[in-house]
Amino acid sequence: MAKVTVDGKVVEVPNDANALEACRAAGVDVPHFCYHPRLSIVGQCRMCMVEVEGVPKIQASCTVPVRDGMVIKASTEKALAARNATMEFLLINHPLDCPICDQAGECKLQDNAVGAGLPVSRTSEPRRQFPGYDRTPIGPHVIADMTRCIQCTRCIRFCEEITGTGELTFVERGGHTFVWTHEGRALDNDLSACAADVCPVGALTTKEFRFRKRVWWLDKTRSVCDGCEIGCNMSIEHRDRIVYRTLPRVQPAVNDFWMCDYGRFRAEDLNRQDFLKPEIRVAGSDARKQTNWGEALDVVKIAIDRARNEEKNIASKGRVLVLGSARLTTEENWLLKTLFEDSLKVGTPEFVVDKGPKRRIKNKVDGWIYGTEAAPNSRGCEAAGLKRNRPGDGSALDLLLSKKSFSSSSPAVLYIADAAFTERANDLEFVLLLRQASVLIVHARVKNALTDAADIVLPSAPLSGKEGTFVNAKGRVQRVDTAIMSPPVVRTDLEILLHLGGRWDLLDTRWTARDVFENMQASVAGYEGLAWDSDAVVGNPPSISPAAAYDVLGLERDPDVEVFSRPSVAAPDRRS
Amino acid sequence: MSGLAPIEPVLLSRRGKPDSASIETYLEDGGYASWKKVLGGAKSGEWTPAKVTDLVKASGLRGRGGAGFPCGMKWTFVPPKEKRGDKPVYLLCNADESEPGTFKDRLLMEMDPHQVLEGMMLASFALDVKHAYLYIRGEMVHVAELLNKAVADAYAKGFLGKDVLGSGRNLDITIHRGAGAYICGEETALIESLEGKRGHPRIKPPFPAVSGVWECPTVVNNVETLCCVKHILDRGPEWFKSIGRNEKNTGPKLYCISGHVEKPGVYEAPLGVSWNTLLAMAGGVKGGRKLKAVIPGGPSAAMLTAKEVENLPMDFDGVAAAKSMLGSAAIIVMDETTDIPKAVTSIAKFFAHESCGQCTPCREGTPWMHKMLKRIVNGEGKKTDLDLLLQIAGQMGNGMTICVFADAAIAPVLSGITKFREEFEAYVAKSNHPDFALAAPEDLTNKVADRTAAGIHS
Ligand SMILES: Cc1cc2nc3c(=O)[nH]c(=O)nc-3n(C[C@H](O)[C@H](O)[C@H](O)COP(=O)(O)O)c2cc1C
Ligand code: SF4
Ligand code: SF4
Ligand code: SF4
Ligand code: FES
Repeated sequence: MAKVTVDGKVVEVPNDANALEACRAAGVDVPHFCYHPRLSIVGQCRMCMVEVEGVPKIQASCTVPVRDGMVIKASTEKALAARNATMEFLLINHPLDCPICDQAGECKLQDNAVGAGLPVSRTSEPRRQFPGYDRTPIGPHVIADMTRCIQCTRCIRFCEEITGTGELTFVERGGHTFVWTHEGRALDNDLSACAADVCPVGALTTKEFRFRKRVWWLDKTRSVCDGCEIGCNMSIEHRDRIVYRTLPRVQPAVNDFWMCDYGRFRAEDLNRQDFLKPEIRVAGSDARKQTNWGEALDVVKIAIDRARNEEKNIASKGRVLVLGSARLTTEENWLLKTLFEDSLKVGTPEFVVDKGPKRRIKNKVDGWIYGTEAAPNSRGCEAAGLKRNRPGDGSALDLLLSKKSFSSSSPAVLYIADAAFTERANDLEFVLLLRQASVLIVHARVKNALTDAADIVLPSAPLSGKEGTFVNAKGRVQRVDTAIMSPPVVRTDLEILLHLGGRWDLLDTRWTARDVFENMQASVAGYEGLAWDSDAVVGNPPSISPAAAYDVLGLERDPDVEVFSRPSVAAPDRRS
Repeated sequence: MSGLAPIEPVLLSRRGKPDSASIETYLEDGGYASWKKVLGGAKSGEWTPAKVTDLVKASGLRGRGGAGFPCGMKWTFVPPKEKRGDKPVYLLCNADESEPGTFKDRLLMEMDPHQVLEGMMLASFALDVKHAYLYIRGEMVHVAELLNKAVADAYAKGFLGKDVLGSGRNLDITIHRGAGAYICGEETALIESLEGKRGHPRIKPPFPAVSGVWECPTVVNNVETLCCVKHILDRGPEWFKSIGRNEKNTGPKLYCISGHVEKPGVYEAPLGVSWNTLLAMAGGVKGGRKLKAVIPGGPSAAMLTAKEVENLPMDFDGVAAAKSMLGSAAIIVMDETTDIPKAVTSIAKFFAHESCGQCTPCREGTPWMHKMLKRIVNGEGKKTDLDLLLQIAGQMGNGMTICVFADAAIAPVLSGITKFREEFEAYVAKSNHPDFALAAPEDLTNKVADRTAAGIHS
């Protein structure tokens, strides 16, 4: 560690830190554009100018490695004048049409123009334009507008250093310099939209979010992507029950500053309004009728009780088969196990998880973190005591799916807590196998082949409508919060299970996800000693190196990082 | 006995000889003698890299590329073998020569390419280099071809390749053509360009001697510097030091004289020769007209008035004392008919065109200055323009950018406007610009101070 004095304040920073990081550690905000904590240092924007004692010339602080005993003067007249100068240079050719720019409100150029820069413009020369390179898609997600580019090269470095795909480059020279894709290429990689995140201005924006909402209207809720078991920390940004975008939330131990395009643009999915309604089959008919939650759960209880009684009579196991899901929270899966296995004694719930496309994200702690499953929480399912189904393992589900058991030993009740637990839930042949059960009960977010075949449908909330925890590929327990209350007709899986358990007086219907969390902690591996309220509950915290510790320190002050100062609309009061 | 007495040409000694570029005539004239001498004594230990470096140090040779950095000292910055480990050391001969008014390296390469190669060979020996590169300005296609032929001939004669002249040492030389960018003459941009990247100057430190091309220790030397090395090895450091104004400015120097003189061209004279002598060598001011201004070291150097340049010793320290620089010794002479604002505008255009575009102040400032100057000479100047120009120039240099290109770009503007302000004011006075309400720059300064006082700055 090096002791550095910034504007009279002494801070200790790692030896490999630079003067800009030292300033931030000391709480002195030095404006910057090209510096990014995860990209190489280029010192190009010349915004972060400070004075360093003993060095006659003004210095770009991001390019100055710290030394023990270094004295940085970040707020001298000379330093401020230098930043003023850079700001002026940046603005002489900028269109300055923030009112029609989608970055407005989260633009570094706006922010820094308020902090540094002249109150009026001194130029009267015509401004530079980039005909043909404005408002043009450069890839499936990213739209480029070079009139707004400040040539900081963050996007270029992102594509070179993080994704390693190198699609972007500077074109032309001097005042004509702009960023574009290499001849014949598109900005098309697994993380391409992150280029728009790193862009400090409105030069790169995403097609999906562009002009959908002014950012200052957005409420932000912390969540975790449920696309795969990496569990990228994300922020769900929404307003009036509509999710406008999801953004990565900085987490050095998981996704760092990034998230994949697939996960990011699942926001569309969260906005689907085709919620189902509670439905039960009309006795002796092909049709289902809509009902209320009370009746639906009563019928579920009756079906299960009947199967349990039969089970006693014919003494065969597996009459009630329960399927959890790696797409549900650990709390929800644990409730399944508590209710069905521990209390109703109908056997261990099982779960199946699909293989997904292989995903990887570069992070600070592991180098790379990999995801191979199509669901976020298989580890949470296992920790909660569910049994992972493996073809040929002879389990009840396996027997059902191996087709030989169409007999009296078929389950009387098949209770599926997530109708979309596998891709195959849309495959009629697969659904027919499940349909061998006498009574088929499903929780379902939206309609699919399986819900069509079910006898009882219990409509459940999407990710944005629930809270709980997932366990990611590294065993890290991470919490999601409720961003949007689902319509009253829909309940979270947690509520459904609590109310069902309440039918036997086995579960307390007043419990929240936090209560479940706290009640299951002692028995669920990896959850011991965790606190619901710690910033995104952390399981098996990686040993924090000084650099990482600094990182956390630094990140707290990084204007790149979302500040969750505003409670989300749906925040339960207990958490305040 | 003055070091400034006229000298027999050294670097240009073979100028005008028939077929001077061929290896045969070079050998006839005693070429490659030093290379043979050094390699011949390498096995016995009579000649060691340290000995060559010491000779160059003793000669007082300063780099001819622009900065005038002591050549031998630069070589000693390369970390010793114990420190650099397996990393090879590279020598890059900087032949990007793009500073307007500079045409000496081209002459050396065209006229006497083997002189350049021998200089590179000797420097490679001193630096333990196995592979040296000559980075030549993209536009000089025919010179690159000529050099390639010279390199091939040197290989054929055994002066390059494996086990050169039985010394057990290997040396390769590659001629690399740039793509035509002035900034690639800046040594770290040259390195990036050689690596196949855009010519962007790098942040220093690390300096090339520690981490240069492919992150290996690298020495960049100008063509003329390396030619001097050959002559130092031929004739010894004492001879070299006997030429020149003083201990710090030694050896023969090529001066490129252009503009309003009777006989523009490359002249060889002792480093530190007085301005008046040089001007006389070039035949005096064209048509006997009066001298107005001189650019002593290419457009990167501040202009000097006729009065300032009078009797000025034309060496690194002499010109620096007049608050300009010798640079590449590209001397542009401007007589009384010269329109200084137009000259400055033309230089500003060059710099706006050649900025690499990385650093905000340079990328934005150079075209801004050019646009304003163009407007002024087009008769649309404003009263506030001149002060604004000085202020813009004042906020581009002195550490505001990665490389000193920006410092170079502001020198002609600052010196032109300060020294010839009346000429600019005459343009503004004739201007038909409405001069719409813009606060004078002074007022803004106050506003900035107000904002600072009010704590608006972060
Ligand atoms: C903008 C700029 C352009 C330059 N162009 C050249 C050039 O064309 N040729 C050259 O030899 N040095 C040029 N230099 C100087 C080199 O950076 C470097 O100092 C020089 O090649 C070192 O050689 P020397 O020590 O032999 O002088 C330039 C420097 C700058 C800042
Ligand atoms: S597009 Fe954005 S990130 Fe890329 S160089 Fe321009 S301003 Fe920087
Ligand atoms: S890598 Fe996985 S967790 Fe991360 S955004 Fe993509 S799908 Fe979601
Ligand atoms: S000062 Fe100009 S030429 Fe030098 S690195 Fe910066 S932008 Fe490029
Ligand atoms: S942030 Fe330091 S130069 Fe850009």
